[in-house]
Amino acid sequence: MDRRVVITGSAFFSPLGNRGRSVIAAMEGNRTAFTRPGFDPDVVVAPVPDFNLKTYTGRYKNARYLNRGAAFGVAAALRAIKGAGLCPKMLENAGLFVGAGPNLDLGHGVNPGLSALWILKFLPNTPASAIADLAGIHGESTTLSTACATTVQVVGEAFQKVRQGGLDIALAGGGDSRINPGAALAYKMAGALCTQPGDPSQVHRPFDQARSGFVMGEGGGFVVLEALDHALKRGASILGEVAGFGASMDGGTMTAPDPSGQWMEKAVRKALTQAGIVPGDIDVVSAHGTGTPLNDQMEATLLGRLFPDRSPQIMALKSWIGHLSTACGVVELGLCLSLMANGFVPGVRNLETPCHPGLDFVREHRNSAFNTLLLQNFGFGGQNGALVVKKWTE
Amino acid sequence: MDHFNRVRNILTEILDLDEQEISQDSYLVRDLDVESIDLLEVALALSTEFAIEVRDDEIFLRHLRTLIADAKAEGVDPVARIVETLPHIPEKRAKEMVADLGDGPVLKVRDLVDYVGHCCR
Repeated sequence: MDRRVVITGSAFFSPLGNRGRSVIAAMEGNRTAFTRPGFDPDVVVAPVPDFNLKTYTGRYKNARYLNRGAAFGVAAALRAIKGAGLCPKMLENAGLFVGAGPNLDLGHGVNPGLSALWILKFLPNTPASAIADLAGIHGESTTLSTACATTVQVVGEAFQKVRQGGLDIALAGGGDSRINPGAALAYKMAGALCTQPGDPSQVHRPFDQARSGFVMGEGGGFVVLEALDHALKRGASILGEVAGFGASMDGGTMTAPDPSGQWMEKAVRKALTQAGIVPGDIDVVSAHGTGTPLNDQMEATLLGRLFPDRSPQIMALKSWIGHLSTACGVVELGLCLSLMANGFVPGVRNLETPCHPGLDFVREHRNSAFNTLLLQNFGFGGQNGALVVKKWTE
Repeated sequence: MDHFNRVRNILTEILDLDEQEISQDSYLVRDLDVESIDLLEVALALSTEFAIEVRDDEIFLRHLRTLIADAKAEGVDPVARIVETLPHIPEKRAKEMVADLGDGPVLKVRDLVDYVGHCCR
């Protein structure tokens, strides 16, 4: 019989803060971290302030092989492990599921002379190697890279493994940073970035008819997934329950989502079915909500079809922290756990004229207790992933 | 800045250590926990810093044990063979190495400094 899977550790780094409390305080104060970078004033970015990997690793000579995104992931993993209170024996047998994107930070021209093993900064499984080394993990490990659906799928794969009994404990997460000239150029050429002039905190507007693109953020997060029995036995504090996961492929174009959202819906319905619930049971949707014209139109169409009678509350966390690319799923999950614990649903920033009339896009912050969350992310390549997360009850 | 200080700066950077932890007599492997990938970085950094061609086998004494074993087999003084093959090693240091071999890898920070000094001569 399949086992119940709970979250017993969670840590993240986001542009608005590294703890749920501080992010919620920023939201309540209507503060964002959006700014225009020196290297390209046309775009808007959301950087993580004051990050130092060694605060979490102590001395660590292999830090030189971690790109900025990888460093966020490694630091988040160490914090999540500490928070979950895992002992060395548990870590020895834990699984490690990591997400990574392409490191597009080539600096000012590629200079291989900087380091003999500079290739490690570009290999996707370098953060997994570092986490295993620092934490003493010797279980199985997989590194996934499925564009913006990466870490929602990482959590989903880890969840399935624990659910089916292959592991008692699995760490899942990753980090990413695209705040560099190489990434800005790539996304700008792809036409995906918000390049509207004006106040950087006002131009990004997911689900608004006047939306024009996304904001590059950075950060990372990790969760500790654990079989319920195992967690109860050791008296772990339980932050939430992962109830279902689904993934799918559009099998269409390489960048634009299928406009009907039919294949994204397949992923969402798989997650709902596994969780044993129907769409009407969902209280809150944490939408992918990038603010690009194509994603948001598709996502609104999909949500309208999923919830024809009563819309759940829909939030777009990227309107607060920007788009953390491959790390968005796990950081949004970590943040959702805090929102769920605090009964707080933040409004979608700068949403004036919603692109779909029948959906309950949250415009102003709400103090609203909720128990069942749908988290969805969709990536380039037609990668779709969805998670159902429930508030923990016996 | 003298050669030792420049070598030490490179080692502190690559090994994430403080200056006080590195002396001329620190053993790279035994004291500073240097691994093979660190040596790759050290070789590259030294070649850049001093504008020299660093030969990994020579600077890191990769063939020292074979060298000594061969010398003994041929009835040649191992110290003389070391000095002849690795000209940056002073005779006194070669003697220490032969005596010290049983306790582990003998490479010390001073050997890197001597190598750099020899190349820059």
